[in-house]
Amino acid sequence: MTSTIDSIRDDGTGVPVTASIVGKSPRELAWNRFRKDKFALFAIGVIAFYIFVALFAPLICSALGISPTRLDGQALNDYGLPDGPFGNISTSHLLGVEPGTGRDILARLLYGARVSLMVGFIATFLTTTIGVVLGVVAGYKRGKIDAVIGRMTDLTLAFPSFLLIIALTRPFTQRLESIGVPEGNPARLTYIVLVLSLFGWVYVARVVRGQTLSLREREFVEAARSCGAGNSHIIFKELLPNLWAPVIVIVSLSLPGYVSTEATLSFLGLGMIAPAASWGVMLGDSVKYYRADPTYLFIPGIALIVLVLAFNIVGDAVRDALDPKGDRQNLL
Amino acid sequence: MKRKSIFGAIGLGLVASVIAASCGGSSSSSSSGGAPKKGGTVHILSMGEQIAHLDPQRNYTGTDLAFAASTMQRTLTSYKYAEGDAGSEVTADLATDTGTVTNEGKTWAFTLGEGGTFEDGSAITCADVAYGVSRTFATDIITDGPTYAISYLDVADYPGPYKATADQQAAFDKAVNCVDKTITFNLKVPVADFNYTTTLTSFSPVPKALDTGEKYDMKPVSSGPYKIESYEIGKSLVLVRNDKWDQASDPIRHAYADSIVYEFGLDPSVIDERMIKDAGDDQFAVSESIQPENLPTIFDDEAFKSRRVDYYDPFVSYTNLSVKNLSCLDVRKALYLALDRDALRKAGGGPYTGDYADGFIKPALALDYAKSKMLDGLNADGTANVEAAQAAMDAAKTSCPDVAKHAADGLVYYYPDTPVWAKAIAIWIESEAKVGITIKGSPVEASKYWPTVMNPDTNYDIVRGGWAPDWANASTVIPELFATSGGFNLTRNADDPDYAAFDAAVTAAKADLDRVSQGKKWQELNQYVVDRLWALPGTFLKSQSIWGSKVGNTYQWGPYGSFNFGELSINS
Repeated sequence: MTSTIDSIRDDGTGVPVTASIVGKSPRELAWNRFRKDKFALFAIGVIAFYIFVALFAPLICSALGISPTRLDGQALNDYGLPDGPFGNISTSHLLGVEPGTGRDILARLLYGARVSLMVGFIATFLTTTIGVVLGVVAGYKRGKIDAVIGRMTDLTLAFPSFLLIIALTRPFTQRLESIGVPEGNPARLTYIVLVLSLFGWVYVARVVRGQTLSLREREFVEAARSCGAGNSHIIFKELLPNLWAPVIVIVSLSLPGYVSTEATLSFLGLGMIAPAASWGVMLGDSVKYYRADPTYLFIPGIALIVLVLAFNIVGDAVRDALDPKGDRQNLL
Repeated sequence: MKRKSIFGAIGLGLVASVIAASCGGSSSSSSSGGAPKKGGTVHILSMGEQIAHLDPQRNYTGTDLAFAASTMQRTLTSYKYAEGDAGSEVTADLATDTGTVTNEGKTWAFTLGEGGTFEDGSAITCADVAYGVSRTFATDIITDGPTYAISYLDVADYPGPYKATADQQAAFDKAVNCVDKTITFNLKVPVADFNYTTTLTSFSPVPKALDTGEKYDMKPVSSGPYKIESYEIGKSLVLVRNDKWDQASDPIRHAYADSIVYEFGLDPSVIDERMIKDAGDDQFAVSESIQPENLPTIFDDEAFKSRRVDYYDPFVSYTNLSVKNLSCLDVRKALYLALDRDALRKAGGGPYTGDYADGFIKPALALDYAKSKMLDGLNADGTANVEAAQAAMDAAKTSCPDVAKHAADGLVYYYPDTPVWAKAIAIWIESEAKVGITIKGSPVEASKYWPTVMNPDTNYDIVRGGWAPDWANASTVIPELFATSGGFNLTRNADDPDYAAFDAAVTAAKADLDRVSQGKKWQELNQYVVDRLWALPGTFLKSQSIWGSKVGNTYQWGPYGSFNFGELSINS
């Protein structure tokens, strides 16, 4: 990370890192490096595709004539299992049907993507916001405030967070419902997003605090301060613009983590309530059918793996682009 | 008795044929021939965390009754230890015969046989039986058990042995009278089949000196061939031989296995997997249920032929409607007509779920069963009749706009939070939406389901139900499910305009000592409820069980719809 900061410190001076004679900003340099990573570009395309299908799930479903809730008993045999090979994949059900109900798996996958991505993006936004604010304040103010925020960070890290998330699901969801959050899935999703944010901000805060501690001693901050700039000017105009690189890296790496956690919770029966679709719910249901209908298990599993992999590839590529000294692209 | 498994059996099905025996489909279950051998350890794989109640006076679940009665809790009378129809006949256990009735059905006397002992070696006396019966009355501590003793015995204001004053206890001792080895029950109403009531473990003896009240549930004193060695909730219950039990004193039990291990808290799919693999100790194991997704694997493969069974158990599944909230027959009709029962049946495993029920009394209760006339427009193949449902809903909008609006706004359906039920509720939501009825699913942790919905403060519109007769008389079905005094009435029908007439008819039917004429009355009352749809008939259920290749004597015991656990044996 230090090297990232080095290049940022030289912002505007145009230190040539590549052979090019033309002066380039670090941003341009990073983008140039990123652009050369074909894997990452492909992964970005995959993520864009997921976001697109999630956003337009209702339109796509109506265009294909499928629905995530419509029952199709005709697609099942007498015993409630898909009436055809590979989970009854056919022209009317492109990815087959769910055993027991005959609901279309493609439609459920599309609607499930909305839940996964929504939880991922909102939780990432919240953790980043909280983490950056607390991290900058702690690093810039130091002293008592830093000590308090530091202890809060340690305390949060000390919690067995995943166990707590599982144990608190029911009581907290009920609590949310009692204070006016709509019952059922809104309350459950709110809970998931809140707890993920509650335990997730510390990672952002720690990195940001460390960066701030070193940044605040730099010449340009000194200069601003000697010119009489106030705290808010220094934090917002001087420090924050120089923190975006590490933050982007953290964001791109933590988002897939939240997507997986939502799937895990739903898998454990603590996520979305029927009849809503979620990848975790689908995975949890499908493992029971690995003997009778293995195709069903593969579809949501592959969808989840591909999305998480794509985010991770992009995250790594962003880090590599911003931090050329840790060049790992050649290893690929 | 209540249905144990609230995990499976969601379906609703079609009256294919009148099956006279509760074990219609069962055959070839006692494997490999020859007399069962003594010895070995039987394993029972269970997804439950514990046995709901081992306290004999609190036990009221089919499987648990079969387990406790056959291993640890002797009763005055018992069902025969036999497969099929024979298993529904009553026979003597602690008593020397099946009881003597006098005073036009109001006095029942039983004489205790010789040699019965508790696990501490003390003899079982008449006073122990009377004390056991008296515990049922302490309803603040002895919860969840059957309450027949309270409804039948001729004693008023008796609070149970823990709180009774000397006078109250004397009144009870008059109602349940002990002279030497003969115990006499004085009833306030004539009960022609009281010796069936006494097969319930709530008529088991409890030694007063060893009664620990609420804690008795975890370590009851055994009077049968097995006793508890260890019992850990969520883990296991280990039974070992009770060396004080004397085979000669027990006319029915054989106790082949040396010990019985109940393994709790197993994942249902893990149980199925272990049973299918049949490796190691699982060769000595039995499982009470098979998940719908694994039924084709087990029943399509002849390799499992000798260790599986698919049979009609004594249970009927149905759906309770809160008549208080849904006080409009048109809305209830719309609900039933719109419901895609075919989809529910498929989600539960299709033909393995059972047949569509035409009421709440199973054909196995031959005297009390008559095919009822179902709602006009209800499709016999179980599919939804959307037009008829829409017509009923339209009628409701004029006949009872408030209730119709409530149905459109959202009916709360409390369901057990399990994957199988998640699908069932999706089917409900989807089918009712077609006629503009909104179903709001409210998942309840499976182990807390019955306590939650039986709590009068829980404001539900719809909850599930599953019931089996306590003995071969619909007096243990219709009043229990639909009378306000019943132990399992979740329909909240007390304010229905037709309730008073219903209640009077129930009282008349109970008092009718002519069994055939009484049966006619139950048939009419069954039709009465079906016509009013206080509850929606679901399925005459089937059950599937599987056992390890080395377990013998695996017949399904008709009255309880389960293995006769105490009789299971190990083939070497």
